[in-house]
Amino acid sequence: MEKKIAVYICTGCGIGDALDIDALSKVATGEYKVSICKTDGFLCGKDGVELIKKDIEGEGVNTIVIAGCSSRVNYDVFDFGPDKIVERTNLREQVAWCHPAGDEDTQMLAEDYLRMSLAKLKNVNLPEPYQVDDFSKAILVVGGGFTGLNAALESARAGYQTILVEKEAALGGYVGKMYKQVPLKAPFTELEENSIPALIKAVEEAGVKVYTSATIEKTAGAPGMFDVTINQNGSTVQERVGAIVLATGARPYDPGKLGHLGFGQYENVITQAMFEEMAAAGKLEAGKVAFIQCAGSRDKEHLPYCSAACCIESIKQALYVKENNPEANVYIYYKDIRSNGQYEHFYKKAQQEGVIFIKGDVTAITENDGTLTIEADDHTMGTKSEADEFDLVVLANGMVPAAAFGEMLDAAPAQDEAAAAADEPKVSVAPIIKSNMLNLEYRQGPELPSLKYGFPDSHYICFPYETRRTGIYAAGVVRAPMDMLSALEDATGAALKAIQCVEATARGQALHPRSGDMSYPEFNMTRCTQCKRCTEECPFGAINEDEKANPLPNPTRCRRCGTCMGACPERIISFKNYSVPMIGNMVKAIEVPEEIEEKPRILVFACENDAIPALDMAGINRLEYNPWVRIIPVRCLGSLNLIWINDAMARGFDGVLLMGCKHGDDYQCHFMKGSELAEYRLSKISETLNRLGLESERVRATTVNIMDYDKIPAMLDEFAKELEELGPNPMKDFQ
Amino acid sequence: MEQKNNQPVKYDLNFAREIYSLENGSYIKQCMQCGMCAISCATREIMDYSPRRLFNLIKLGKKDEVLEANTMWQCTSCCTCKARCPRGIPIIDVMHDLKKYAIQNGYSDDPRAAFYKAFWAEVASRGKVFEGGVTARYYLIRGLDELKKAFAMKDVGLNMLRHKRMPLLPPKKVKGLGNLKKIIRKAQELERKEAGR
Repeated sequence: MEKKIAVYICTGCGIGDALDIDALSKVATGEYKVSICKTDGFLCGKDGVELIKKDIEGEGVNTIVIAGCSSRVNYDVFDFGPDKIVERTNLREQVAWCHPAGDEDTQMLAEDYLRMSLAKLKNVNLPEPYQVDDFSKAILVVGGGFTGLNAALESARAGYQTILVEKEAALGGYVGKMYKQVPLKAPFTELEENSIPALIKAVEEAGVKVYTSATIEKTAGAPGMFDVTINQNGSTVQERVGAIVLATGARPYDPGKLGHLGFGQYENVITQAMFEEMAAAGKLEAGKVAFIQCAGSRDKEHLPYCSAACCIESIKQALYVKENNPEANVYIYYKDIRSNGQYEHFYKKAQQEGVIFIKGDVTAITENDGTLTIEADDHTMGTKSEADEFDLVVLANGMVPAAAFGEMLDAAPAQDEAAAAADEPKVSVAPIIKSNMLNLEYRQGPELPSLKYGFPDSHYICFPYETRRTGIYAAGVVRAPMDMLSALEDATGAALKAIQCVEATARGQALHPRSGDMSYPEFNMTRCTQCKRCTEECPFGAINEDEKANPLPNPTRCRRCGTCMGACPERIISFKNYSVPMIGNMVKAIEVPEEIEEKPRILVFACENDAIPALDMAGINRLEYNPWVRIIPVRCLGSLNLIWINDAMARGFDGVLLMGCKHGDDYQCHFMKGSELAEYRLSKISETLNRLGLESERVRATTVNIMDYDKIPAMLDEFAKELEELGPNPMKDFQ
Repeated sequence: MEQKNNQPVKYDLNFAREIYSLENGSYIKQCMQCGMCAISCATREIMDYSPRRLFNLIKLGKKDEVLEANTMWQCTSCCTCKARCPRGIPIIDVMHDLKKYAIQNGYSDDPRAAFYKAFWAEVASRGKVFEGGVTARYYLIRGLDELKKAFAMKDVGLNMLRHKRMPLLPPKKVKGLGNLKKIIRKAQELERKEAGR
């Protein structure tokens, strides 16, 4: 595409008062020889937009630079169709609103930002959506329990071909074997009939293709083109699907490990699942029953987490006993009753029915003359207590996700060796457990990476229902421990995510968080050295490898973060509108004054997801910060290529600051590991910098949360002060 | 509660069931031991047990501890706990039930139990309150030892007489005392019905 560039400078919102607009225009028309450069007092207004549209029609303008507000606002107003390139220069939030008006430094800053935008355009091209041959919009649901059936039903009713795979001979899963179920509708106080039979019928009527007694032998491909090999009773079938919902559920915690609570020792100490069977068989004659909560859960020796459903399940089972015999004595020993949300009504109902709740830890269970005695520390009384003559003790033995069973995949040995050799920071690798559920043909491992305790979740607050594999959504108790109401919500949520995935992929668009992005990484394979960094570091496992370690990209698995681009030492990976030379040109476009002028320059690479909004927020709140900084937004700090830091230091920048998201256990990086990788890479170059006679303190990484906007001025001032102490960059005058 | 002889406490549901069958007793079952009543209570500091603890003792079947406690007698019926209880327990009504139950079961050592009895006898017989009558009945119930205390209060009484704050002679009974008694009987009938829930 032959670019016909036009620059439009908005003078509204205080920009015109803060800057010398004529001088700014000359940067475009003079330095960059842009033939069209216009100003308007209200560019996002009807007349302003009309002005641009007239030039598009009359002058054939196809590349538009809007110098005005942040790209985070008015993006709909400045949308001129998919065949136009729109570049936004942020003169409002990052210049006029956070630097003094009429100041020389403010003017220099604005001019630099315009230069950066114009330099950037050299390497920006219109992305062409990636299209898949033989694309499928079908949705595969793995697991035919309560969550799986609901997810299948939702996706089928939304009009998508749905395939359901269940390993047992019959659908229904754990809930299917229950006598009755906890309430799922208002007033949340009454036991409900088991909904599974009706659900199975609805799923069959909705036209879901069901495979029972079936497992998944292999999942190859990528969103829109997953080729799933299903093994049903020994014979294999292949299905092509667009997205996958993983609803393989959980298994009760092994009661064999609960010997301290008498399981295995006394036959009347049973588990919740066993009690459910007894109830279904009509054996509810026990006159005095105790339920023991947190049998295994919230226990460092067993399951460190809360299994979330057992309190409500025990309350339900206590009500079975009361329903059968209102005079029966039912005790529930608990740590905390966690009846989340509407289930508080259910808890209250059980209290009204006369179930006795005792907050305390069970210390011993013994048998005397065929009945059981429970000793406990009663926490509300602060005393020891004893209750006897129990006919039955039911252990609420918690749940373990199906994804947690199996051997742990060895972490990449090459990385381990390297990290062990030197006492260097190491990038954490999410563990993958070979649980034989999906058997993915992915370079990074056959199953979903787990977040904690074997649950294959991602960051729930930022990415509900998503896993670290694009197009595969975990739902229900395999994702996190939860009650039935939450599982129902999960099923619907994951089904909708799967639908979103196939629809976006069909259009060649990225998924959350870069929804709608049409660009994808392209590899210049002639220069690849098979170093495997891109295949190892991709947070979504998008890149496979052939036998010679050549990367095999799967663009529909890609979330467009650019981590591969940052990783590649040969710089052969680029996007149509985001590339190493593009940022390199931006760095080079910034004018670095000579040492004698005493105007230092600090380059900031800021993550678009949290740091840039925080910087904009600082502007919106009119917080003034250091005028020496020049901010370059990056898709993720993971896309940071070290060559940019090289370029910046060679250009004479006094310091480089990386602003990314929080990493670690409760990471906020939108691409899981981006900021962590950036810091890791940074540790690699500090040595090189020192060798060049440059202090490694000149380059540093920091984490910024969107709420930290008020701390930004201090953060930048502090860095500037430290750089001042180091003195100017010695490379400055070699330009 | 102090643990006696380091023996583990046992749960006795019989007492609890009896309390739960009082007019407002069944509400106690809904208590989730959050302690909102305790932090809301103006007289909590001088109570033996906060309402929350009292309800827990009921659950455990600690009859003596519950009925000998001053908790319900210290309650001023200010209604703060009832208004705040997240489980909707009408705590002041429960306290009234407990007071009545304690008196009926011979746990009436607390001076306020005597006052309640005196006040009630006065109202039931006259339809009105006569201070002199209430005082006399109170001291009779409490026993002659208490008369010394009454003498100590004599100046207050004389001052009240002088300022016409206390009549010397009892007032007339209300008109239609029979109807009042009918009303009371009806209320008692309703109370029994409520308790049967």
